[in-house]
Amino acid sequence: MYTTERRPSMAERRPTIVAMSAQSVVPHLAGIEDPLPDTTPEKVDVLIVGTGMVESVLAAALSWQGSSVLHIDRNDHYGDSSATLTVDQIKKWVNSVNQGLFSGCYDNAKLYVSTSIGNHNGKYASRDFGIDLAPKVLFAKSDLLSILVRSRVHQYLEFQSLSNFHTFENDNFEKLTNTKQEIFTDQKLPLMTKRNLMKFIKFVLNWEEQPEVWKPYADTPLCDLLVEKFRLEKAQVFELMFSIGLCYNMQTKTPEALQRIRRYLSSFDVYGPFSVLYSKYGGPGELSQGFCRSAAVGGATYKLNETLTSYDPNTKMALFGDGSQVYVTEKVVASPSQAPKDSRNIPNQKYEVHRLTCVVEKSCEQWFSEGESAAVIVFPPGSLKSGNVEVVQAFILGSGSEICPGGTSVWYLSTMQQGSRAEMDLDAALEAMEASLIRESSTDLEHDDSLVQFGPNGETLINSVRLGQSFKQYVPRERIQFLLKLYYTQYTSTPPFNVVDPSFFDINNIDGNGKLIPGASDNGVLYTAMPSGEISYDEVVTAVRVLYEKIVGSDDDFFDLDFEDEDEAPMNKADYENAIEDDEDVDMNVGRHESAEFVGEMEI
Amino acid sequence: MLQFKLVLLGDSSVGKSSIVHRFVKDSFDEFRESTIGAAFLSQTIKIEDKGSQQEVVIKFEIWDTAGQERYKSLAPMYYRNANAALVVYDVTQQDSLAKAQGWVNELKTKVGEDDLVICLVGNKLDLCTEEGESSSKPKAVESSDAEGYANEQGLLFHEVSAKTGEGVKQVFQSIGEKLYEFKKHELANSKGRQGAGGDTVNVQLQRPSTNDATSCCG
Ligand SMILES: Cc1cc2nc3c(=O)[nH]c(=O)nc-3n(C[C@H](O)[C@H](O)[C@H](O)COP(=O)(O)OP(=O)(O)OC[C@H]3O[C@@H](n4cnc5c(N)ncnc54)[C@H](O)[C@@H]3O)c2cc1C
Ligand SMILES: Nc1nc2c(ncn2[C@@H]2O[C@H](COP(=O)(O)OP(=O)(O)OP(=O)(O)O)[C@@H](O)[C@H]2O)c(=O)[nH]1
Ligand SMILES: [Mg+2]
Repeated sequence: MYTTERRPSMAERRPTIVAMSAQSVVPHLAGIEDPLPDTTPEKVDVLIVGTGMVESVLAAALSWQGSSVLHIDRNDHYGDSSATLTVDQIKKWVNSVNQGLFSGCYDNAKLYVSTSIGNHNGKYASRDFGIDLAPKVLFAKSDLLSILVRSRVHQYLEFQSLSNFHTFENDNFEKLTNTKQEIFTDQKLPLMTKRNLMKFIKFVLNWEEQPEVWKPYADTPLCDLLVEKFRLEKAQVFELMFSIGLCYNMQTKTPEALQRIRRYLSSFDVYGPFSVLYSKYGGPGELSQGFCRSAAVGGATYKLNETLTSYDPNTKMALFGDGSQVYVTEKVVASPSQAPKDSRNIPNQKYEVHRLTCVVEKSCEQWFSEGESAAVIVFPPGSLKSGNVEVVQAFILGSGSEICPGGTSVWYLSTMQQGSRAEMDLDAALEAMEASLIRESSTDLEHDDSLVQFGPNGETLINSVRLGQSFKQYVPRERIQFLLKLYYTQYTSTPPFNVVDPSFFDINNIDGNGKLIPGASDNGVLYTAMPSGEISYDEVVTAVRVLYEKIVGSDDDFFDLDFEDEDEAPMNKADYENAIEDDEDVDMNVGRHESAEFVGEMEI
Repeated sequence: MLQFKLVLLGDSSVGKSSIVHRFVKDSFDEFRESTIGAAFLSQTIKIEDKGSQQEVVIKFEIWDTAGQERYKSLAPMYYRNANAALVVYDVTQQDSLAKAQGWVNELKTKVGEDDLVICLVGNKLDLCTEEGESSSKPKAVESSDAEGYANEQGLLFHEVSAKTGEGVKQVFQSIGEKLYEFKKHELANSKGRQGAGGDTVNVQLQRPSTNDATSCCG
């Protein structure tokens, strides 16, 4: 035995409210000469239940702030309601949904898996696939991206760009014209339309400062403004609202829609000629793991395969499935999907998100830009056979994203349509994609120059325009091979377009005027919101910030990380070989900080 | 330069972080705290190409466990694309070899790569040397037992001391050489083979191309 003392941990060294009250115990720093007990620590500041996206970012924020965090998940994997799952894990998850294990969070899960996956002699293995339960894209200028950089979690991840946004209209896929250049060179656009479009784009970049333009339309759908003020045609209106703005329906109000259009435009060219990125190997499931790792670096303790059985706000004791227990000094935060049995305080999850996820035995490369492996296809209201009122969004990922093997792709379709007609819309969108893919990839057509190579005006048809050619009379010979098809309905308390309302968290706030429900196992538990149907990560940081402020008291030091190596001088050449990874970044800190700051101030 | 990802595994306090710090910074700390440092460290070594006698530079990107191993809660992200793994046990702790064997199994199911180089490392050798101080402990794990197991499983095997530095360099040197052998083979085999979707380009988030976000449409 040569040491009984350990250096104070990061958590202990940081001057924080908790540390100053000298109550904080960093559990796993117990003397090394004692073998660590295989139980949970006895005392923590915050217990977080579920390793979904919001919970994981919160865990990282809190542990870097200095709170001791115990983060558990009842599954044997990270991610919870934002997990990235293998096919076998999907099967298990569907079973759990149908057994009502996630009551109020998911239902109506239907799964088809082809025999080519798994089964020993199958062509593909279950773990060749990483299917996201709540797929998301990341805007290049967004608060989550800024936090990814600031917390250095991006170092654990890989990102790729997504520049192809297609709008489906008249049985055609039109590629987005999203740059000034493209607008000017687009031969199909009349001059007048080009001018109007440019005028609008100029306006939207700082729309708030021109109330005279939009105020009269503040309570009306954006399309009124676009048509009346900017004289835009339907095609442009749809493109702006649904491909660029990713709005869900025609009723989207002017301010919300303008905000969303600007989100896209101001993200353009931050990293290159695209606005949107996604993470390789999986979306939120992957990011959750990254933030959990960061939280662990900051001192959080992790335990998978652990359930919360109950929490008593009077004794502040949380009980776990394995019989262990922990004293929680501050708060218990839980995802509704991992609520303890006999919980009575879960907020109502009244909004439905309907999802259809398919794995297709086609690379779908023709839908992607060069050097990319992803695309978004938007089906605006009324564009589908089903007469859809709400938009259907499809997020396509190819094998370059490493979530599926070569020659396959994953299609994530979703809609905010409520009720049973949602599935009809999803099916109609799937059918449209399938039909266009068959036309496009048919060998017959490839040999027929007159059909594919030129459009009506003689211009060469490239990329998505080509894929959209409508050959109504063409009868496909081959069908698309589906390797997996998964339908499910997910529920959330977050209404479309809204981020979490802070008052939402007061529902169960016993410190306030809330009352205890006798017999409930979750009195005093702070519930997070389930992921919403929003295709971007935009809601995440706001939700985390609200929770963080509830727990810490202020959000002043939210992800205010000063890595000690950042103010070290750059090393000389001789030392370079021994440099730790981070030191290599020192000389670019300035630029990085600027951009991080810039991004951080962006509102959702 | 060839770059490889190396992950560390083994029970708490066997000296994983200490080995890395010895290798990367050539330092040792008696009062090393249980790893909350995710220690995403890197270090380069040089090896010799046996055929051409040329020097080859190999860079290790080293991932430490950040304490997530305590409850066996490591994320798939940790194992992903790992080229090599150090599975560490403590030569003075009887049961730590058995636990290391558990980690080897875990690794084989989680990574399942044929060309993953696993190295079994017995640490804290300094505690059992004769000329050690009064605190000298008996060696609880026989070299032959561990080596026998390593051979059986096709693992590299080393005994080291992070404290004195004994054997630490050799661990990484032998891993580097073995990886290079594989890599050479692979490079020769994969000539002209275009991995499916392998040409998708990554974006570096710390490197915005411009801060003028409006340049496209202003
Ligand atoms: C046993 C041990 C003791 C350590 N003691 C210290 C220490 O006294 N001071 C120190 O700055 N780093 C300490 N670290 C952290 C370690 O130096 C970093 O993990 C390493 O610099 C790699 O950083 P990274 O940025 O690549 O890791 P990432 O995971 O990318 O980021 C972690 C960052 O957080 C910071 N960090 C991580 N852990 C600590 C910590 N315990 N205290 C303060 N900052 C931390 C580091 O600046 C590091 O850059 C310790 C790590 C270990 C394993
Ligand atoms: N005498 C001696 N002590 C060592 C040696 N290697 C590590 N130690 C000590 O063992 C303790 C644990 O070392 P760490 O490197 O933190 O072990 P770890 O495996 O990273 O532990 P976790 O991070 O908790 O998983 C520290 O007090 C070290 O000083 C060694 O070679 N000899
Ligand atoms: Mg360690």
